[in-house]
Amino acid sequence: MSSLSAALAAARDCKPGFSDKEEVWRCGKLRLYRYRSIAKPTNAVPLLIVYALVNRPYMMDLQEDRSLIRGLLSRGLDVYLIDWGYPDGADRFMGLAEYLEEQLAGCVEQILAFHGIGALNLLGVCQGGVFSLCFAALHPERVRNLITMVTPVDFQTPADLLSKWIRRIDVDAWVGEGNVAGDALNQLFLALMPFRLSHQKYMDLLRGEAEPARIENFMRVEHWIFDSPDQAGAAFREFVVALYQENRLVRGGLEIAGRRIDLRSLELPILNLIGSKDHLVPPASCAALRRLISSPDFTQIELDLGHIGMYVSARAQREVPPAIADWLATR
Amino acid sequence: MFSDRFAEATRRFFEESQSPASLAAATQGLAEFLRDEFANVLRTPSPGTREGVPPAEYPLEAPGLGLTREHQLRAQRAASAWQRLADAQQRLQRLWFDTLREAAAAFVSQIQPSSTPPGPQALHALYDRWIDCAEAAYARTAHGEPFCIALAESVNAASAWRRECAAAAEAAAKLLDLPTRSEVNSLARRLHALEERLRAQAPEVPRRRAPPRARRKR
Repeated sequence: MSSLSAALAAARDCKPGFSDKEEVWRCGKLRLYRYRSIAKPTNAVPLLIVYALVNRPYMMDLQEDRSLIRGLLSRGLDVYLIDWGYPDGADRFMGLAEYLEEQLAGCVEQILAFHGIGALNLLGVCQGGVFSLCFAALHPERVRNLITMVTPVDFQTPADLLSKWIRRIDVDAWVGEGNVAGDALNQLFLALMPFRLSHQKYMDLLRGEAEPARIENFMRVEHWIFDSPDQAGAAFREFVVALYQENRLVRGGLEIAGRRIDLRSLELPILNLIGSKDHLVPPASCAALRRLISSPDFTQIELDLGHIGMYVSARAQREVPPAIADWLATR
Repeated sequence: MFSDRFAEATRRFFEESQSPASLAAATQGLAEFLRDEFANVLRTPSPGTREGVPPAEYPLEAPGLGLTREHQLRAQRAASAWQRLADAQQRLQRLWFDTLREAAAAFVSQIQPSSTPPGPQALHALYDRWIDCAEAAYARTAHGEPFCIALAESVNAASAWRRECAAAAEAAAKLLDLPTRSEVNSLARRLHALEERLRAQAPEVPRRRAPPRARRKR
């Protein structure tokens, strides 16, 4: 036990993030990063990773041996990543239109301008996948290939506990005119599986070996889980009402910046990555994409992984980057 | 009741003011009664904290009257929201207890009797089995209507309570001439609108050269 305590103490300040990157653009609190290549380029079209507003994007590059980004870089992809930053009180009126049409669109325009090309590849993760779908629907000419990873599409599938809870909540009253605390969302997420996430996880930590690498990995994930940005009130309200409560990606009628999002308009190649053990975004929610789009080139890969395991598990490192790189290489 | 006290005070006044000699004292007595009765009329009553009034006896549905009408109503709304929150929490607590009981029953039914005490590995396995039973029982509860309704009610009641508290804080801030949230929000909205207008008039996104594609060996 003393060696475990020592290992925990030693790992207390270990920071997430590994690969070298460079800030290439900023807009408000958003930062756009480009990762330094580590292998011979294999794809001329850059890949932009659109992460969720909930939690921080460094989960994509947690540590050397648990990095989706490193896996993509090692396969010769040119990787960009959006860091949305930490919204504060001044961002409370920032809506989805601003996130998509100002910030995401701004990143895309910058990258296209850098490279002198007309379209790029998008990889949307979770909520970032929803943003990517919406962006592709609004600007089909700007997206060459789309990869959606653990992306909810049907927000009202039977296994979706979060959705069941949220449907009866008065979101207007909850948000008021403020932001939504990241801690409040974390409380909800932990409540999805309270025994596993608030107890068993720590027991597992204690019962394992005091191996520094294992402890450091645990601490980095722990850091990430509780490093939860507050959510800009207006965007949060729009997202929850339109998607969780009204399920508008499925039923139709979702509008961003006054423009209707119709997934049936999507005709580009799409790779849909699903975690069959995902407790946050049920597999059926992701799989619904197939029946809602018009793309003749649709690939779906379901891995026996959970929501977080899709980015940081050892298996994900072996399977996800090659799946993405191989799929892109043929398009 | 105030009406009884008022009737008594006026009756005494009329009795004692019959002679000119006692008129001054009677007038003084009535004046003091009225002063004492109305000394606190402009104070904001706070349910549950008013002196001598236990929370359960304070009528949340009492109409707001007088100059402090809005304060009274706000305090009533806050107290009502707090009560709703407490009720919802109690319902959740009850469901939680039921879940634990169900989980424990399932767990016990799965344990094999043994004459020897379990070793560390067996203990770990038992613990994991308990977690499985607990999560399975919890999932059944958490997906159920009563849990979803109680959870939503607790969030909604907490939101309502917070709104009333914020309104009270805002009223206090105005009194002290401090900036209020409404004021800051109003400024933020104007700024936001201004930014949108500027963006609409701004030229295209400035084109930059691609950053060098540095190769690094690790």
